[in-house]
Amino acid sequence: MSKTLPPARDTAAGTDEHLRTLRERLSRALPSLGSLQSCIGLLLVVAVGIVTKGQIFWNQDNLTNAVTAFASRGILAVGVTLVILTAGIDLSVGSVLGIGSMTAAMLLVHHGLSPWAIVPLCALVGAFFGFLNGIGTTWLRIQSFVMTLAMLSVVRGIDRQLSNNVAVGVQLVDPHGHLTPKAAAFAALGTPGHTLIAGVGYPVIAFVAVCVLVQLLLSRTRFGRHVYAVGGNPTAARLSGVNVSLVIITVFTLCGLLAGFAGPIDAAYSASADPLAGTSYELDAIAAAVIGGTSLAGGKGTITGTAVGALILTLLDNILGLNAISDNMQMIIKGLIVVVAVVLQRPGFLQPLVEPLRRLRARA
Amino acid sequence: MNAAPPALLRMRGIGKEFPGVRALSDVELAVHPGEVVALLGENGAGKSTLMNILAGVHADYEGAIEIDGEPVRIHSPKHAQQHGIAMIHQELNLVPELSVSDNVFLGRELRTARGTLDRAAMHARTAELLADLGLTLSPGRLVRDCRIAEQQLVEVAKALNGTLRILVLDEPTSALAEAEVERLFVVIRRLAARGVGLIYISHRLEELAEIADSATVLRDGTFAGRRPVAGTDRAELVRLMVGRPLGELFPRAAEQRSDGPVRLRVRGLTTTPAPASTRTPLHSVDFEVRAGEILGVAGLMGAGRSEVLEALFGAGDRVRGEITLNDRPYSPHTPRTAIRRGIALVAEDRKAQSLVIGNTVRFNTTLAALDRYLRPWRTVDARREKAAAAGKVAELRTKTHSLDAVVGTLSGGNQQKVVLAKCLLTEPSVLLLDEPTRGIDVGAKAEIHALMDALAARGTAIIAVSSELPELIGMCDRIIVLCEGRLTGEFHRDPAHGPAATQEAILTAAMARQNVVAGPPADGNGAET
Repeated sequence: MSKTLPPARDTAAGTDEHLRTLRERLSRALPSLGSLQSCIGLLLVVAVGIVTKGQIFWNQDNLTNAVTAFASRGILAVGVTLVILTAGIDLSVGSVLGIGSMTAAMLLVHHGLSPWAIVPLCALVGAFFGFLNGIGTTWLRIQSFVMTLAMLSVVRGIDRQLSNNVAVGVQLVDPHGHLTPKAAAFAALGTPGHTLIAGVGYPVIAFVAVCVLVQLLLSRTRFGRHVYAVGGNPTAARLSGVNVSLVIITVFTLCGLLAGFAGPIDAAYSASADPLAGTSYELDAIAAAVIGGTSLAGGKGTITGTAVGALILTLLDNILGLNAISDNMQMIIKGLIVVVAVVLQRPGFLQPLVEPLRRLRARA
Repeated sequence: MNAAPPALLRMRGIGKEFPGVRALSDVELAVHPGEVVALLGENGAGKSTLMNILAGVHADYEGAIEIDGEPVRIHSPKHAQQHGIAMIHQELNLVPELSVSDNVFLGRELRTARGTLDRAAMHARTAELLADLGLTLSPGRLVRDCRIAEQQLVEVAKALNGTLRILVLDEPTSALAEAEVERLFVVIRRLAARGVGLIYISHRLEELAEIADSATVLRDGTFAGRRPVAGTDRAELVRLMVGRPLGELFPRAAEQRSDGPVRLRVRGLTTTPAPASTRTPLHSVDFEVRAGEILGVAGLMGAGRSEVLEALFGAGDRVRGEITLNDRPYSPHTPRTAIRRGIALVAEDRKAQSLVIGNTVRFNTTLAALDRYLRPWRTVDARREKAAAAGKVAELRTKTHSLDAVVGTLSGGNQQKVVLAKCLLTEPSVLLLDEPTRGIDVGAKAEIHALMDALAARGTAIIAVSSELPELIGMCDRIIVLCEGRLTGEFHRDPAHGPAATQEAILTAAMARQNVVAGPPADGNGAET
């Protein structure tokens, strides 16, 4: 009864060729999607959302809101991925985002600058701290974990000192109770309800743009190659003529720049710059990278993977929130997801599942 | 009635299948007490798999293993240990930050009545074991501070610290200089005399006559034959390994006294390493190499051979001295400048220094020459890059199923070809080779030698460092010898041009300084007793 298969086998020779080209094409496409496992994870999360909340979850408003809420952390994750690819780590991104958000608020409130000036200035401030991280890890040869841990503390301290531990609101109101033009322009950077194109707001657009740009930087440029080389084997990179220190400094600077760039988004989203803004965001950022298949050992990972990882965390946040699961439970679940993701992404994890199937086919 | 005593170890009909690949089928191996069995085969022939089965790494093998005639099944490394089987891998398994005695007792530490570590007893026992091996080394010394040869003997001591019946040595001499090899052989003979069975894996066929009793040859995962070493010539063993007649291993014709232009002239090359560094300082080394010439650099471990290459490549310590490269002054600064000036280095340790092992063949091949395939905005022109990589893969006949194969999945010889391809894509006029054929099989070795010959014929100046004297003598037009960072001799392939390059002459020069330091050389007869 189990032997009713053979007739179907006749066409095998013809389809085999076809299958092989398909498989080759797939295996070439997969790396650009991060990894198979994280994509499956994303589908699972979406499925859970639809099953538990249906239309409440699966509608454009809810989804854009979810991504908007996570966009600033997503941008951090892109920067952190760059650093992790060189086998480093950046724990200071949350603090740098915080000071970016504080800088944005102060430039708006005290100096009356427009967002066009505020965003690049905040990015510069972030880049400065990232540059210091790079200098510390290369010239002073401090391990990046320690260097950026110190930076986390220092930057947060500066942030609190600057703000005198008081949140700075960004919704400036004129005597008539309307937002001032500058404040209104600033609100477009992320205050919920402000959209730019087709119901999508600036945070989402910025996140997508950052992902695309950095992914292109990694996969298409010489610098991208050098990032992977430094992370994969710094000695081999150096002996191949790569300026390893320069690559590491650049990567930290870019990571800081992105964190600074995300600051105004966070300030606009929360309608104020809190001196504690961005606290523990670095953990979400690292988690997104890891879930997306980036190896902390360096040299392996993609931005698309990180974007998928960020989406998983975003939707998870959203679904758990919709289902009224407590914050405490959310934290526990997120932690477990990271562990599961890393285990699932071990090379050869799927082997035991695939192997019996292949053997069966070989026998037939 | 069975007259002969059972073999110490007999492996019969051994097979092993990995997902999608059959690594071994129907292999047999026998070791008698006190016998040294050489296990030969090209890379990928299945030697490591067979030894891993013996060491309990792969529990699901086919076939039977007998120890003293009793059938056993080896499920785990621990199980193998209980049978007295120990293996010393090419990459040593020691914890560098622990002391020698801590390593010897790792996992079976002695404890005092109070449950704390009994350091004194462990030190004493370690000292005993080391003395037994003819090694004077403080048991409290950190392994990190020991030389490779010493670390290897520490591994042997670790194996001796249990019941040792069968010892597997995987390419133990590949990282040793000649004098250290001799010391290892003394230890091997001593162990054999005590009835330990030894399995000795090596690519250096010339060693076998000296150390092995019989040779078992594997080819493509199958048993190719067993021969007594005495009375079997090398060509026969090579034929068994390769399964086809092999081209000349050293294709270099008699010395071509190159009258090409001087590519590199070095005067007074001196380095001063940082105090904590393990590098040997160089003291005023002079030499030159012409276009089309292969210059060999010989010496013992720590003589400063690699340091010379690293200094020229700007990868080592700050360099003093006068160097001219293609008649222009050159000061080595960083590898980047060296590559731009037309120098390329194939480093000593391909996994640690040359390859991004988790990345693809294409990525590694073009890494150093990426500047040649750039479009505006420093983006990589993937088409040209791919074409260049594919060209080198074809030229060097690298066996890989695609350019996107992960380089770590290739065999050692093919990995080395990727390293060479990487260097050649930068179109060097001076090529520095540090142990270019270490740990690769005979077939690939011959191919790399042929490549060196062809490159020289095209006008590249080559400087090659090797621990294998036959290789240097077979391939180089001239050989300079270093000892403790000083030049102690220069020998020629063609005796008409100067002192002839013979093993004896080179070894004497390599140990010149030690003789001066140690006074008149003691006769070797004390070593055996």
